[in-house]
Formats: sequence, C-alpha cells, structure tokens
Amino acid sequence: MLARIAHELYWLGRNLARAEFTARAVEAVFQAELQGTSDKPGVSFGSGGLLAMFGDVDESPRSRQALGQLTLDAERPGSMLASIERAREGARTVRDVISAEMWEAINTTTLGLRGGGQPGWTAPAGPYLASQYVKERTALIWGVANRSMLRDEAKCFLDAGGLIEISDMVLRMLRVAMPPGDASPGDGQALILLQAVGGFHAYLRAVTAPPNAHPVARFLLFERAYPDSVAACVDSLNEVFTMADAGPRNSKPVLRVSRLAADLDFQRRALPDGAELSEICEQTQQELARIDQDVAERYFAGAAAAGLRR
Amino acid sequence: MVNGDTRREYLRVSPQVPITAVPDSASLPANDEYRPQAPFLDELFELDGTPRATAAALVEQLRRLGPAGLVEAGRRRDAIFMQQGITFETGNVGEASHERPFPLDLVPRVLSGQEWRDIKRGLAQRIRALNHFVDDVYHAREIVREGLVPWRLVVSCSHFARAVHGIRPPGGVYTHVAGCDLVRHSDGTWKVIEDNVRIPSGISYVLENRAAMARLVPELFASYRVRPVDHYPQLLLRALRSVAPSAESEATVVVWTPGPANPAYFEHAFLARQMGVELVEASDLVVRDDVLYMRTTRGLERAHAVYRRLDDDFVDPLEFRSDSLLGVPGLVRAYRAGSVAIANAFGTGVADDKAIYCFVPDMIRFYLGEEPILENVKTYLLSEPEVLEHVLERLDQLVVKPTGESGGRGVMIGPHADEAEIARMRAVISAHPERWIAQDVVRLSTVPTVGEGGVLAPRHVDLRPFAVFGERIDIVPGGLTRVALEDGSLIVNSSRGGGSKDTWVLEDGDTADRAGPPIADTQPPALPDLRYGAWTGQQQQQQQDQ
Repeated sequence: MLARIAHELYWLGRNLARAEFTARAVEAVFQAELQGTSDKPGVSFGSGGLLAMFGDVDESPRSRQALGQLTLDAERPGSMLASIERAREGARTVRDVISAEMWEAINTTTLGLRGGGQPGWTAPAGPYLASQYVKERTALIWGVANRSMLRDEAKCFLDAGGLIEISDMVLRMLRVAMPPGDASPGDGQALILLQAVGGFHAYLRAVTAPPNAHPVARFLLFERAYPDSVAACVDSLNEVFTMADAGPRNSKPVLRVSRLAADLDFQRRALPDGAELSEICEQTQQELARIDQDVAERYFAGAAAAGLRR
Repeated sequence: MVNGDTRREYLRVSPQVPITAVPDSASLPANDEYRPQAPFLDELFELDGTPRATAAALVEQLRRLGPAGLVEAGRRRDAIFMQQGITFETGNVGEASHERPFPLDLVPRVLSGQEWRDIKRGLAQRIRALNHFVDDVYHAREIVREGLVPWRLVVSCSHFARAVHGIRPPGGVYTHVAGCDLVRHSDGTWKVIEDNVRIPSGISYVLENRAAMARLVPELFASYRVRPVDHYPQLLLRALRSVAPSAESEATVVVWTPGPANPAYFEHAFLARQMGVELVEASDLVVRDDVLYMRTTRGLERAHAVYRRLDDDFVDPLEFRSDSLLGVPGLVRAYRAGSVAIANAFGTGVADDKAIYCFVPDMIRFYLGEEPILENVKTYLLSEPEVLEHVLERLDQLVVKPTGESGGRGVMIGPHADEAEIARMRAVISAHPERWIAQDVVRLSTVPTVGEGGVLAPRHVDLRPFAVFGERIDIVPGGLTRVALEDGSLIVNSSRGGGSKDTWVLEDGDTADRAGPPIADTQPPALPDLRYGAWTGQQQQQQQDQ
C-alpha cells in the first residue's frame, strides 16, 4: 500500500488511542478528586499529574480548568477534541481505505464534540460527560474497525498506531504517578491508575493482591493477558508488523519489537516482587520511541521525505 | 435564433409535446399554486399547470407526500449528508470555510428513454469530434490547414500545451472523461452550452443523489422504472485499463488528487474507493527512467494509468508551471515515452476553450462527415471588430464569459446586470476582446423545486451527462442536473448557490443503446506514436555500427 496512506492510518490509530486514554484518565481523575484528595503517601495522580502526562507543567493547576483543557479545548494539542479532530482529518484523507461505517463513526464523534459539545456539558460535570462520550464513541469506532475492515496491511498500520500509543500512554502515566527515588511507595491511589486505563476489573480477576502500588504497576507493565498492558501491546505490535512487513526476518522495526517483547517477559520473571520499576518504564518508553523512528524509516520513508505533517 | 415574440414561439411549439391522460387538475390541491413561468419550458408541467404525461405519476406521489412530507425528508437528507460527510465547503479563500450538506433537491427530473437516446447520440458524436480535434491540433493540424479554425485562436488558448506536441496516447484517446453541459431551450430543443474535457466533476453527486433519493423518498420511484447509474466506476475502470500500457494481466490504475483541500476531494476519494484503486497525491508518485512509480510500504511499485484530477498547469514542474508543488517532475517525459496513460490526456483543454466551442459543429462535419445532432448556443467571437461592436451595443441582452475559465467564474448575464456592471464589462472586453465570448441568453427550462415550507416553485436547470471513452464511448443514463435555487436565477454552479437534482432516465424496453454507440470511425484506429520506436531503432542501428 501507499507509504503516505500507511502513515496516515498509523497516526489515525495513534490519535484515536490518545483521545480514548485521555478520556479514561480524565474520568478517573474527576471521580477521584470529587472524593477529596487522599493524604496517604505514595502514588499520586491528580489533575496536575494528568497535565504532566502531556508534558505540561502547570505551577498551580486548578482541577476543573485542567480537566477542561484536556477535553474540549481545541487550542491545546493534547485535548480530546484536538486528538479527535486530527483523527478526522486523517480519516478524511484515507476515506477510500477505511470502511464507510468507520468514517461515519469518526465523523459523527467529531461533530458531537465541536463547538463546546452537547448541551449540559457546560455544567461542572462537563469534562466527565465529555469523557464518557469520547470513551463510548472510540469503543464504537474500534469495534466498527474490527468488524468492518479487511485484515490487511491497512488494518495492521491502524492497529500498530493504536498499540504504540496505548503503551506509551500507560508508561507515561506510570512514570508520572510513581516517580523514581521513592523506594517504598505506599498504597495511595493505585486504584485510580487502574481506573484510568479501565483495568480494575481485569486486575481483580488476574491478581489476588489488593490494588496496591507495586502489584498494580507490575500488572500494567507485564500482564500479557490484559490487552492494554505494555507487554500485551508490544506482543500485538510484533504480530501486526510481522504481518505487514514484506520481509519480517530482515526488518529493523520487527526485530526491535520482538526483542522488546522478550525483554519485558524476561524482566517479569527475573524481577523480585518489590523491585523498583521506574527505570524499566523509562527504558521501555525510549525503546518505543526508537521503534516509532524505525517504523517511519522503513515504511513511511517516502511520506516523511515529502515533509508530511505528523 | 431567439424569437422576439416568445409567447407565440412557445404556443407554436407546445402541441408537439404529447398530452395524454392527465388526472383531473382539481384533484391536485397541493400543486394548485404551482404555475410554470412562461416563456420558460417546465419539464414536469404544461403551461396551464397540468402535469406532463411522463410526470403524472410523480406529481401524484408528490401531492400525497405534501409540503410537510417534503420538509421532513429534507431534514433527514441534511442529517444523513452531514453524517456521511457529503458536504460542500463554502466561504472564500482566507475566510473560515464551513461545511454544509450538498443541496440535493427532492423532486427528480424525468427524461424519457427516447429523449435520452437522442442526447446520447449527440454527445457521443460531439465527443468523438472533440477527440479528433485534440489529436489534430497536436499533430497534422488539418482543420487549420483547411481554414476552418484559425491557428492563432488555437495557440492563444490558455490550455494549449506545447509540451505534448506529437504525442499520441494509447488507442488515440485523449478525452477519456467528458462532461458537456446541456440546456433545454424553451422550444424543447437541447443545446450544448459548454464542453468540459479537462477534469469535469460531479459524477459522485449523481451516484450519491440516487442513493439518497432511494433512501429518503422511495415512494416517488413507485410507478417508474428508472435506469441505474451506479455502474459508472466500473465503466471508468474498464476504460482506464483498456488504455493502460501494461504487459501484465492487470494494469495498476490510480486516481491522482491534488489533496484533501481540493473542493472536489470527496469525489476523488469516492471514485478511488468505488473502483478499488489507490488515491494518490503528488508525494506518492515518482518518475525513474521515464517510468512512473508510486511509493509504497514495500518500496516502489509501477503505475500504468493515472486518472488525474488536477489541471495541466500543475502536473509536471519541468514542463508546465515550474512553481507547482502538486506536480511530479518527469511525468510528461514518462507520458511521452508511452510508459503511462494519463486520463484525460495533457493538452485536452484546447478543446473545451470557450472560443473553440464555436467551431465544434464545424469539427463534427469535418472529422466525422455528419451533421451535428446537438446544437450550439448562438455565440459571438469578439476578435472580429464588427462583431465586437455589435456585441458591445447589446451587452444588456447577452451573456459574456471569459474563454479560459470554468465553474461560472467571471460570467456576466446582461439582463440581470446593472448599468455600472455593464459599463465596467464593456471596458474590460474592449481591452482584451479575444479573451471573451458573448452568447445569446438561453431560456433554461425549469423543474419544480422544493422551496420554503415544502412548497414547489419553478427553478432553472441544466444537465451534465458524463461520458467515458475507452474502447468505446459509454454514457451513464442521465447525469448531474444542476438547479439554480434562487428565484429567477440562471446560475446553477454549486459554488454560486446552485443545488442538484436526481435525473431519471426512464426504462422503455429499448436496449439499442446498451452496448454503447458504435464508434464507426472514418479513419483507421490510431496507432501509438511511432516516433519513439523509430528513435530506438535508429539508436540500435548506431550501436551495431560501432
């Protein structure tokens, strides 16, 4: 397929996943902050942390404002609206590749978010309602994509974008919530991390321990049975690249991804239970950035050379 | 041609249109207020307000639907179009553009099978002549030597392309896709008002309009058998494959779009999707050793035929405009080498220039030895001093158009213009008379159109049928009917407040035209240009000598 189209699909996947995970995080933080901040030491993830995840360091983040910025503020590149708008722009470009149903789902989502969203979203609960909407709609979009798109190269690149973005978001969140140097973080708000990726239920079924900081972080990093964990995403990335690549045995991104998958599996088994994870998070994130570069070089070289936007 | 006493002219002609069983007009309360506007011909109603024979059942269904039903269907239409993103960008350059649903009117236009066959024969004839003309202009120039078309007029066309002189594409086909604009005069005759053989657009709306009509107002179709239109993408694909220089079993066809910012991007994506081919932009294409490739995730892949949707000016910065960022350097070389087919061929714009338009009937007689089936509108070339003088005196009664423009830009309709506008136009024309033509005002026919509150009112329409020229000429039944939504307006371009209508060609069991009109050329089929082959032969000879 055309390099430019693959590039657009990859970024369509990334933007959709980014909007979805922003929505989940905003929703979790909104609920947590409603119940008052916990004084317990350890994991801290509030609206300040949320902004930090997107690279913004606001000195005195006011909760509602922060959440508002992340939802419907078209000026901020990290907001859900901006992500969805970019996704729509991308989808418009690849309209002939994605299914008509999928385009309609993305288009309707964007129209629903534009101009301040729907009546009632101006209320204090606005960010929450908007997040709910985005969460539902992105679930619908991915569902439609899985049911209506041919499982070919196009779908591979769309999925790859989504997977790399999900793992990146999870890693960012872990690094913000559990900064290095804190040798023995308390239990704190580890629950909020699970809620922020929507994995509370899966955690309860997979892990017998209560949702404390360490087991939660291990779960989000290593649990291959949970689809949004970093390890599971990297596994799936390996699959889609192997499928899309013309010569996977000789391909830099495929080799790098499979090495990362093996590495994560090794560390899951090798690391003792209480070991600090922040370093692994950092390394994994850097490795993902390198994979992103390799992907651009191997598959999108033509598109990148032509100076296309991201 | 235009008779001063239009009323009498209308009366004289109207008995030719058959009037058969017409329902009692008293039973049509919803259309009581509908009155066709004399002197214009209304395509669904007689002048006295009774429905025409072919339209009686349609009018009856519209009456049952009533204004409320039409308004409701209109609301659903807008919602569906917005959801599917079938929109039209409005607003000028620099302003924030906003999208609005493409304005489809819910009352269809009805053409009988016989009427359509006449139009189709006329169009096929015209397109063959235009194709001959393009070939002639870039090769032997016979029509010029015969003294029928002045050479100075040909070279002064803004779309005359020196770069393609002597190139003959595969099959000798230049005008693969053509869309001639037709209007219906008040005496019932069809006239060609404009030829589009560069990049005519609108076919996607023909297909989408039909799909939307079937979804929104299925009851209107109840008493009719309407000929389908949805095979157009397959016709186009077949035509493109037939001209592609590919030794492999399946040629790679691509649609080339200038990009998502183009107003017709929807159509480009639509056609690529319907044909199942790649939609490419300039950044996807690259020419290596006179062969066109596209950049894919697996390296370079060859493209054999390009359906391009951008103007000659932009396609190749090495041969046309050097500041074009939308072009592919070397494309014209690849085209000249015969390694890629381009549809429409470069340089076809010379045939749809508005000054050349006057000569099309002569071309038909010259190249085909036939009498034109479709007439031209009376047109004045302003390069002759006497004609210019005559036209300048009558500017308030004529339409003036710039020769090299399209999309209704720069057009002035005399009877609708005020004194100041006419005075300004007079000065502009006097400065460069060769850049303008004048035409008699055509009394465009009207079709009932849903207005405010679901009430029907007569609005002017034109028709753009789409023809595909590959191994033969195929024309999709009907075409795009454009309608001026303003009362009394004659401008139907969608960029200037026009809408569109579904165009029905009725099935009447006559399948004579299904296989496409025979192309009985007086000349043998054109061979690919031999110049290049001869050159390689010579080169081989030299190599052997060494």
